[in-house]
Parts: sequence; structure tokens; C-alpha cells
Amino acid sequence: MKILFKKNKYRLISLLSLLVVIFIWIFVTDISHAVSPLILPSPIKVIQTFVYKLQGGTIPDGASLLNHIASSLKVALGGFLAGVIIGVPLGIGMAWNQKFERIAKPLFDLIRPIPALAWIPLMILWLGIGYASKVGIVFFASVISATVNSYTGIRRTSEVHLWVAQTFGATRNQMLFKIAIPTAMPLIFTGLRLALGSSWVALVAAELVAATSGLGYMIQMGRMLGRPDIIIVGMLTIGVIGLLMSKVLEFLQKKFVKGGRLEDEK
Amino acid sequence: MKSEKKKNIIATLLTIAGFLLVWQLVSMAVDNAAFLPKASVIVLEFFKTFVNPVGKYTMTMHILISLYRVGVAFILATLVGIMMGVGMGYSKLVEAILYPLFEIIRPIPPLAWIPMSILWFGLGDASKFFIIFLGSFSFITLNTYDGTKNVDRELIGAARMLGASERQVFFKVVLPSSVPYIFAGLQIAVTAGWSSVVGAEMVRSDEGVGWLIVMGMNKGNTIQIMVGMLAIGIIGFLLAQLTTLVERRLLAWNDQ
Repeated sequence: MKILFKKNKYRLISLLSLLVVIFIWIFVTDISHAVSPLILPSPIKVIQTFVYKLQGGTIPDGASLLNHIASSLKVALGGFLAGVIIGVPLGIGMAWNQKFERIAKPLFDLIRPIPALAWIPLMILWLGIGYASKVGIVFFASVISATVNSYTGIRRTSEVHLWVAQTFGATRNQMLFKIAIPTAMPLIFTGLRLALGSSWVALVAAELVAATSGLGYMIQMGRMLGRPDIIIVGMLTIGVIGLLMSKVLEFLQKKFVKGGRLEDEK
Repeated sequence: MKSEKKKNIIATLLTIAGFLLVWQLVSMAVDNAAFLPKASVIVLEFFKTFVNPVGKYTMTMHILISLYRVGVAFILATLVGIMMGVGMGYSKLVEAILYPLFEIIRPIPPLAWIPMSILWFGLGDASKFFIIFLGSFSFITLNTYDGTKNVDRELIGAARMLGASERQVFFKVVLPSSVPYIFAGLQIAVTAGWSSVVGAEMVRSDEGVGWLIVMGMNKGNTIQIMVGMLAIGIIGFLLAQLTTLVERRLLAWNDQ
């Protein structure tokens, strides 16, 4: 028993730490009523709201939790895919072809320092507040990480490998597809993970500013209606889904991409 | 090699000039300032905003207000982030207590805190500080934590063997060798902080660069939006360059 305790000492402390925080939360809300429920709802209320919204409750923000999730995911994945489909070839092209780089890199560097969120007003003005404008905003968030990482990945190709290929008479295309791209794969995948992460963040922002559904809209409504329990349910859902998406990509990377460590990111 | 560099610079200038020219021509063809204003108008208006106020302030003030918000929150985030990161990396007890809480908070995007922070801190600067703080603090904490964890065990062992006290080990070995990691974190955090302030000001504010573009949207003023985006991009770029410069100066010994 004692050995078991010693071995898991730090795990127990972690558990205790979480319990203490939850207890304090319950104490200040439900037991002592020191904090108004309009500022911080009790965890029990949050769980009740979560269950209610999960079971399809549409009050007070007009849609059930699953509907909000579906609507957010549709936008986030649409923008993410558009960013990847354009960003990865763009990064590879810029790194592989000098002429193309001379033209594309300055333009890319011009757009790069603008945060995706700053595109929101322009996108809304151009495309309205529907699906297209939100996909556009998410696109700008995802295309940058996808491009930068593909570019760096190709640039890391070892010269020696290319020389060997050249000696054996490989064409430029063969060198790209058999050497440079496989070398870059781990970094490209890291780029995809970063892109997915920033897509999710940009999506929430876009929905906060202008939307009629989605998780960002849900928490914004929660604030306007003075329902912090809705806000917290929304925030936790956003966090969990973001985490899940990054885990899925991590899993795919481990499964399909050989070599390279996950720490290689930047 | 040198002529190569020259060629690149010329190519860059040519491409950007070409881009502006195409924009100018397209906007003249479209002839709809609400959809696509002329490039020349944007550049001109951009300089004008430094003299003529937009809303309550001139551009200089809007930028300074946003920078002030980032600055305050960033300093707080640096202090808390480094302390938390070092604490969790160095002491198993601190790690056991704080890490699970940190992991719960971390996946939530800072902007998702906006509604909650408005309820908690009101509409003023405090709620913006809070959001920007959250936006940058997790990067600093995580990098510092990594840095402290990755200290060369042999160095610590050597220091101990030579009779260094725990304090000395900590201040002379652990802390210095995690500095490059901390700087990497600070660099990401500055960019993230800048993006957070734009977001926070867009959702609720009366001034600042984020307000500028949202106001442009509400008024249907595309010129103001683009001018604001230009300012946001330039400041974001300068901030990133600044941190790189500081890092090179202070960490010249680090070859990474």
C-alpha cells in the first residue's frame, strides 16, 4: 500500500489539485453564494446546461449543442482544407522553383503579418455574413502555417541526397517527388496541425464578430443574455473539440509519416 | 552570391510594384470604391490618418493604445509564464499541482474568453488585458517548461559534484540553459498577443486598431478597413522583427 502510494504520489496530488479547484468553485457559488450566478455559475448548473444542450435543447440561443458544433466544424474544415490545398503546393513550389519564389514570396510575406482576424471585416464586406466569408477567414488562418511549414520542409532537403539522385540520372521531377517531398513530410504534417489549430481559433473569432450559429455565436449569445453557464459550456466544448482535432492529426502523422519528430515544429 | 542577393531584392521590388499596379488597374476597371478601393487611395489615406483623426484619435494614437494593451498584458504574461514554466519544469510537486489545470485551460482559444472576461472585468481595458494575457501566456509557460525540463542532466550533475548548492544549480545552470527556449516562447507570444488585441478590440472597444477595422465594416467603409489592415500588418511585422533582433543581441552565444 505504501509503495503504491509513493509511486502514484504525484498523480494523487494532481487529482487533489483538480478536486480543490472544483470544490472552491462549488463553495463560492452554491454553498456561500459569495459570487453572483451572473458572474460565475456553479459547476452543477454548468453540467445541467451541458446535458440540456446536448439533448437538443434550443433555449436560449436557438440551436442545440450538436447543431452549433456541426455548423462550426463545417466552416472550420472547409477553410482548413482550402488553406491546405493552396498552402502546401504554394510552399513546395516556392521552395523548389527559384523563379516562382521570386514572384510569390514577396506577396506571401506581404500577407503573412496580417492576423487572420483582421480579415474579418473585409471578408464580410466582400462575401456577406454567410458560409463563404467565414471559410475565407479560416482560410487565411490555415494557409499561412501550411505554406510556411511546407516551404521550410522542402528547404531542409539534404543536398547530398539530391546530388546522389542527380548522379544516378534522376529528373528534376523525380527528385522532387522521391526525395524533397518525403523529406518534408514530417514538417508538412506539423504545418497541417498548426493550420488546424489556427483555423479553429479564427473560426471562433469569426463567429464572435458575425454569425447566426456556431459555438462562437453561442458564447456571444450567452453573454448578451446574461447566461454564463452557456458561455462556459461553449468554451469547454470549443477546447475539447480543438484538442480532439489535434489528436486525430497527431495520430495520422504517427501512422502514415515515417521519420521526423513531433518536436520539429516552428 | 552577392549578385544573387541583389537579384532577389530587385525581384521583390518588381513583384510588389507589379502587384500594386494590377490592383490599381483592376480597381479602376471595377470602379466601385466600396468593393475594391484603388491602391493609391489606400496608401494616401493611410498617411492621412496620421494627421486626421479617425473616430476620437489619429492613427498614431490608435496604434499606441493597442500597443499599450499588448505591452501591459505581455509583461504580466512573461512574468507569470516564466514563473509557472520554471516551477513546473523544476519541481515535480509544482508540476503535479499546476500542470493538469494548465492543460485544461490551454486548448481554449484566448478569444473564446472574450464573453466571460466582459462579464468579469467589464468593457474596459482590464478585460482586454486578460484576453491578451491568456493569448500569450500559454506559449511562454510551455516553452519555459520545455526548456527547464530539457536541461542537460550532466551539467546539473557536474555542478552538484563540484559542490554547488540547489540555489546555485538553479540560477547558474537551469535558468541560463532554458533562456533560448524562453525567447522562442516570447517570440510566438508577441505575435499571438498582437493578434489577440486585434480580436479583443474587434469584439468590444472604442479605440485601437481592431476597432478601426470593425468600425470600417459597420460603416461599409472599405478604405478604412484596408488602411487598418495595413497598419496591423506593419506593426505585427515590426514586432516580430524586434523580438528577433533582441534575441540575436542577447543570445549571440546560442547558435541555434
